[in-house]
Amino acid sequence: MRRPATGIFGLTGCAGDQLVLLNCEEELLRLMEALDLKDFLMASSARDADCELDIAFVEGAVMSRADEERLVEIRRRSRLLVAIGTCAVWGGVAAAGRERWGQLLEEVYGDTGRRYDSLPARPLDQVVPVDLRITGCPVEKEELLDAVAHLLCGDPPVPADYPVCTECKIRENACLLIGQARLCCGPVTQAGCGARCPSFGLPCEGCRGPARDANLRSAWRLFEEKGISPDEVARKLATFAPLGPGVAAEVTV
Amino acid sequence: MSRRIVIDHLARVEGHGGVTVELDGDGVRQVRFDIFEGARLLETAVRGRRFDEVAPVASRICAICSAAHALTSLKATEQAFGVAVSAQTEMLRELLYRGENIASHALHLFLLAAPDYLGLPDAAALAAQSPEAVMLGLRLKRLGNRIQEVIGGRAVHPVNAVPGGFARLPSEDDLIALRADLRQGLVDSEAAVDLIASLPPAESCCAAPRLAALVSTSGYGYYAGREVMVTDGGAPMRLPVSAYRSWLKERAVEHSHAKHSSVNGSPFMVGALARVALRRQSLAPRGEAALARLGLRLPPESPLDNNKAQAVELVADVAWALETVERLLEQGLAPEPPAAIEPRQGIGIAATEAPRGLLIHSYSYDARGRLLAADVITPTAMNASSVEEHLRRTVERWPQADDRTLRGRLEMVVRAYDPCISCAVHLVRRGHGA
Repeated sequence: MRRPATGIFGLTGCAGDQLVLLNCEEELLRLMEALDLKDFLMASSARDADCELDIAFVEGAVMSRADEERLVEIRRRSRLLVAIGTCAVWGGVAAAGRERWGQLLEEVYGDTGRRYDSLPARPLDQVVPVDLRITGCPVEKEELLDAVAHLLCGDPPVPADYPVCTECKIRENACLLIGQARLCCGPVTQAGCGARCPSFGLPCEGCRGPARDANLRSAWRLFEEKGISPDEVARKLATFAPLGPGVAAEVTV
Repeated sequence: MSRRIVIDHLARVEGHGGVTVELDGDGVRQVRFDIFEGARLLETAVRGRRFDEVAPVASRICAICSAAHALTSLKATEQAFGVAVSAQTEMLRELLYRGENIASHALHLFLLAAPDYLGLPDAAALAAQSPEAVMLGLRLKRLGNRIQEVIGGRAVHPVNAVPGGFARLPSEDDLIALRADLRQGLVDSEAAVDLIASLPPAESCCAAPRLAALVSTSGYGYYAGREVMVTDGGAPMRLPVSAYRSWLKERAVEHSHAKHSSVNGSPFMVGALARVALRRQSLAPRGEAALARLGLRLPPESPLDNNKAQAVELVADVAWALETVERLLEQGLAPEPPAAIEPRQGIGIAATEAPRGLLIHSYSYDARGRLLAADVITPTAMNASSVEEHLRRTVERWPQADDRTLRGRLEMVVRAYDPCISCAVHLVRRGHGA
């Protein structure tokens, strides 16, 4: 099997998705054998910053002109661009204050802030075309390894498009929304985490962003039945994916 | 003749930073630790949120220190509402800290710092030379992450630590498995000390750093404490965390999205080296023995000794975690739900020791338990001024060195601080509704 030339990059974020890759302790050395890692600044000072890449994994949101330039350059040299993590896929937690960015910068840094290279957060696909998306805050180790395994075989990975509820039912957890009327984002959030939070008795926070195959109409009806207002749900969902499509629109369905 | 050395993008550190040096003959004109990580201003994401939604967002400040951010956030929130957590909760939080510290130090020592000492670009090259060394580091990192998974529910951005305590307590089976891992970890961490002790000595700038660390109220602990100790060669000062704004000064600078910090006008260093130096008397016997094997002299002579101090903490933390898990298995965990929280208007200011050093979260809440304003000061932001001072001393000591050599030495200084640049960027608004 040919070793694909690979780059791993972080734009603005917490570096959690690159950390998850480094947290694949048992697989890391084999992963390094399987991939020809050309450019992985967080882990290596031997980098080829110009070569063509078969695969680029990019985490973080675009939050500066420098990020924008880097991303365009990464896109130019990569055959396949994979967005990893909620920030890269949906904008993430930092996308919350987009509308008043200039004002906020000044509040935090004073006059100096106005001269910083800083832009409101955008997911990667608002700047360049993205081929694959692996969401999660952070991404799940198993999904990341599964994606690499698929790509090594030349197949596109198949991320879950169903909601967290599906996995929660498989784990036979008691439903926090139906049973306790707690605001759980499980019905509308993309699965893949094994319903981690509900398994700890905690409502889903929606950290993985919207599920494509969610039954939104039924979810909103259920929230309403439980006395949870659409505003409250929308506010909660905006924590990790304020730029998620359809979330606000569906409130009125 | 003037000369300019620029390191655009520091490798093997977390986040985006660089170094710029300008020399005029042998005179150093300017030295800058550039932090150009984008500002994320997470304050907009936390402001207005209900108290139980704050820690999950605060943890996203940084992945490597996510448990420290989550727990410091909870500590500040609970303080604002006058909530006292149980001794069991404090102990489990401390265990979570130790897990994060083990994972973070193992990552830094083996994957980021060690290659420098051997003239290698990365851990992959190290693995080609000595696979067992990298496997050792990865096993220790895995151990730290296992502790975080068992106690915090996830290795990165823990979910299980909630206001008042923990959503779910670890099962006996989890603890039995963890005990087995920790027994192996005891052997591994001692081997890690030997490995770090065997590295060739690094050329360092030999400048004694000023140090600051939390005064722990639980032995060598990272979580509990309300005072900070600062030393400047003379008698150490003890300063209350609650009054941090009067003694910790910050200013915004053009070349860095991290504000620069000072105490009494001087830069200072936080992290493993500061902790080991200032709390040596509470170091576990294994830690003290490791100190001797590493030849780490205290007070420290160089910031590069931070690498040795991390190895000392690896041994001490694994030993503490093993003793704690053994005790938990003997005595059992009391089945207790999180302490009840009744929101009230108030201010909470908490400090803990994150893997990279002192971390402060300061919050003010309204009567309904909604966050009005927040301030977070991270270890890497506190260290930024001190990093610059040591970069300057390094250049002053070897002004004649060629670019490549000097560049290598400068990178080692920055890396020894184990900077976490995502963290360093000032994320939240200053001033409690002021």
